[in-house]
Amino acid sequence: MNQDARHAQFMERIERGEKIEATDWMPDEYRKLLLKLIHMHGVSEIMGAFPEKEWVPKAPTLKRKLAIMAKVQDEMGHGQLLLRVAEDLAAPLGKGREELLDDLLAGRVKFHNVFHMESPTWADAGVIGWLVDGAAIINQAALLDTSYAPYARVLKRICAEESFHMQHGENIILTLARGTKGQRQMLQEAVDRWWESLLFFFGPVEVTPAAQRMIDYRIRIKTNEELRQQFLNKYVPRIRSLGLTIPDPHLRYDEKQKKWLYTQPDWEKFGEIVRYNRGPKSEERIGLRRFAHEEQRWVREAMVRAHKMQAV
Amino acid sequence: MADRREYEVFEVFVRKKKTDAHVHVGSLNAPSPDIALTTARENFLRRENAVNLWVVPRGEIHETPCDEGDWFARELDRKYREVSGYSENGRLWKTYRERALYLEEIVQDLHPPSQGNRPRPRRERT
Repeated sequence: MNQDARHAQFMERIERGEKIEATDWMPDEYRKLLLKLIHMHGVSEIMGAFPEKEWVPKAPTLKRKLAIMAKVQDEMGHGQLLLRVAEDLAAPLGKGREELLDDLLAGRVKFHNVFHMESPTWADAGVIGWLVDGAAIINQAALLDTSYAPYARVLKRICAEESFHMQHGENIILTLARGTKGQRQMLQEAVDRWWESLLFFFGPVEVTPAAQRMIDYRIRIKTNEELRQQFLNKYVPRIRSLGLTIPDPHLRYDEKQKKWLYTQPDWEKFGEIVRYNRGPKSEERIGLRRFAHEEQRWVREAMVRAHKMQAV
Repeated sequence: MADRREYEVFEVFVRKKKTDAHVHVGSLNAPSPDIALTTARENFLRRENAVNLWVVPRGEIHETPCDEGDWFARELDRKYREVSGYSENGRLWKTYRERALYLEEIVQDLHPPSQGNRPRPRRERT
């Protein structure tokens, strides 16, 4: 069968709503789009643990410490599941986990803008759990029906755990919202700090050619803007109900257009942050990741050797 | 590539209860079966309970082709193998003023739900 016929047959499968497995034939373009998406998703889970991990030693109570530690562990676990899916896609291209992680250290793969930012107060830890995870959950839940079956299976497990993260984040901010004047102030400042990053998180308004191809292949179903609107629907009323202010004087729901109008985030600034790892915390966190990856290499190698010697 | 230092892929199967079969939950990378078992617990059982775990090197698993639906094709109507193939029993029993008996009813009678919400015994026909 020639390539065109194979491609046409593949598209028929996609259009019938069939799910694709790692061992099925797939167009190179499909493989590369998926790999780019899942690789980025996987390393974002790992880098996403860093802003919160900074709060493990400083959590205000033992219960909070255990809970945030559990969350950090979940994010690392999600990273492992996603990298596993990425590895199977990357195998025909001669890449394994080492290479996928090297890409992160060398700046060849991006991770979400929000994880380049500072989390200076406990309220930031709360807002990350509440709003950053909230945004991430909308993104991930939208992917549950993706055409790539191994990704769909992993997302199902991840989303189940995210439901704990949602409650965890809400509980921290509800406690702060009911706290002292100083605590409420701290919460407001954290919301102010994160708002613009959260809008950027969903990506550009226009549907880029790559995004359109992902929609054609049913890798994803919704556009960036649809997901951002969903986020605003869910979270704007909740933020306001706590008596907090959203730092955007132009934010309003337009009844005629049936959508939220908002001030655009600084696309250029955040674009540079994710492209060149130029955020306030990018270098420091990648440095920690590099340290863990390189300083523990001898352990990984020793374990492989020990098993080989045992097998002899 | 002669001496790959990479970990091996293991598929993970979890048995949640003694009376359940192992169920495939995903895969992981590990340098040995021992570490694979520990990693499996950390990656897949942070919340759920289980009584047993299997890890199997991926290369040891044999599978049917994924994109060949034909392998599972059913050329014949298999109603005769199914409960639903015998729905006329209910109608036939009516002649004898009885009703069809189903497995669920037997199981329920032998394993009544705990006290409190136990259904009242069905009044026997006389």
